[in-house]
Amino acid sequence: MRKEIVLLIIGMSIVSLLPRMFPIGTLSRFEFPERVKEWLSYIPAAVLGSLLAMSVLVRNKTIDFSLQNHYVLAFIPTFAVAVFTRNLFYTLATGIGCMAVINHLL
Amino acid sequence: MDKRKELLTGIKDAVPIVLGYFPLGFAFGVLANSDAGMSVGEATLMSVMCFTGAGQYIAVGLLKEGAAAITIILANLLVNLRYFLFATSLVPFLKTVPTRIATLLSYGLTDETYAVSVAHYARFPATSYYLAGLNLTSHVGWIASSALGACMGQLVADTGRYGLDFALPAMYAVLLVMVVKRKQDAVVAAVTAAVCLLIAYLVPATMNNLSNVIVATLLGATLGVTLKK
Repeated sequence: MRKEIVLLIIGMSIVSLLPRMFPIGTLSRFEFPERVKEWLSYIPAAVLGSLLAMSVLVRNKTIDFSLQNHYVLAFIPTFAVAVFTRNLFYTLATGIGCMAVINHLL
Repeated sequence: MDKRKELLTGIKDAVPIVLGYFPLGFAFGVLANSDAGMSVGEATLMSVMCFTGAGQYIAVGLLKEGAAAITIILANLLVNLRYFLFATSLVPFLKTVPTRIATLLSYGLTDETYAVSVAHYARFPATSYYLAGLNLTSHVGWIASSALGACMGQLVADTGRYGLDFALPAMYAVLLVMVVKRKQDAVVAAVTAAVCLLIAYLVPATMNNLSNVIVATLLGATLGVTLKK
């Protein structure tokens, strides 16, 4: 292994891991006020809403709402299964299956 | 607490994540090897020590262009800042886990393990064993898929053909459904998604480091607090 690549990896490792480990390591001793807890309770829905929108609608760094975007097509049945079953396995199977069929046919 | 059951539940919950990581990690390995000229060992070490999909793709792209190490590290800092927010929001759940163990295991905190674990903690208390099963299995999946990709760097395979590229969006969809417990959660999710896309549209550069996700999330959670119960 080249020394400069190993040093780069160490640098990347520090900036990747600090933001994840620091809050858990330091803040766990504190009890957050109710208002802050309430604010934090909205983070999961907000993050997942954003990540879902980005992962379905952004193709090659541009936003594509149209049905030409295969991800939009596959998303419709996948989301329906997610809402009705609330089951990870069925949703993944539907998503991957639909995507395979769409990629094959279109 | 049944330790074995907790560990197995964590591992089981990691299976869809590993499935989703496979094409991403594999493609990272291929690109690291064939585009950025990294050896199998170097590409694998990066996946072991960094575990940041977006950051590692940035590294490969910038290495290919011959960028300085400091540029790559700064880009990685930006792309990883969102984890500060994720980790902070996990703190109230992790009270049931010894701080030192929770800190060590948050090495494996990613968008996907975060999403799965918050959906789990909405129904069950957090335990070290569950967290270990979930995070370590996901990390091992990431390392294995990137190592495999790096080994096969020269024979580029089209993973999209099998629909695996839709594993992560499908996972986000069902996890979102699971964390939406109140009407306000649905409102927050929809508004945040719209704001996130709007920022991406207005400032496309934010998509490179997902800073649009951070800004939209901060606004979305603040909106949530102001909503009437």
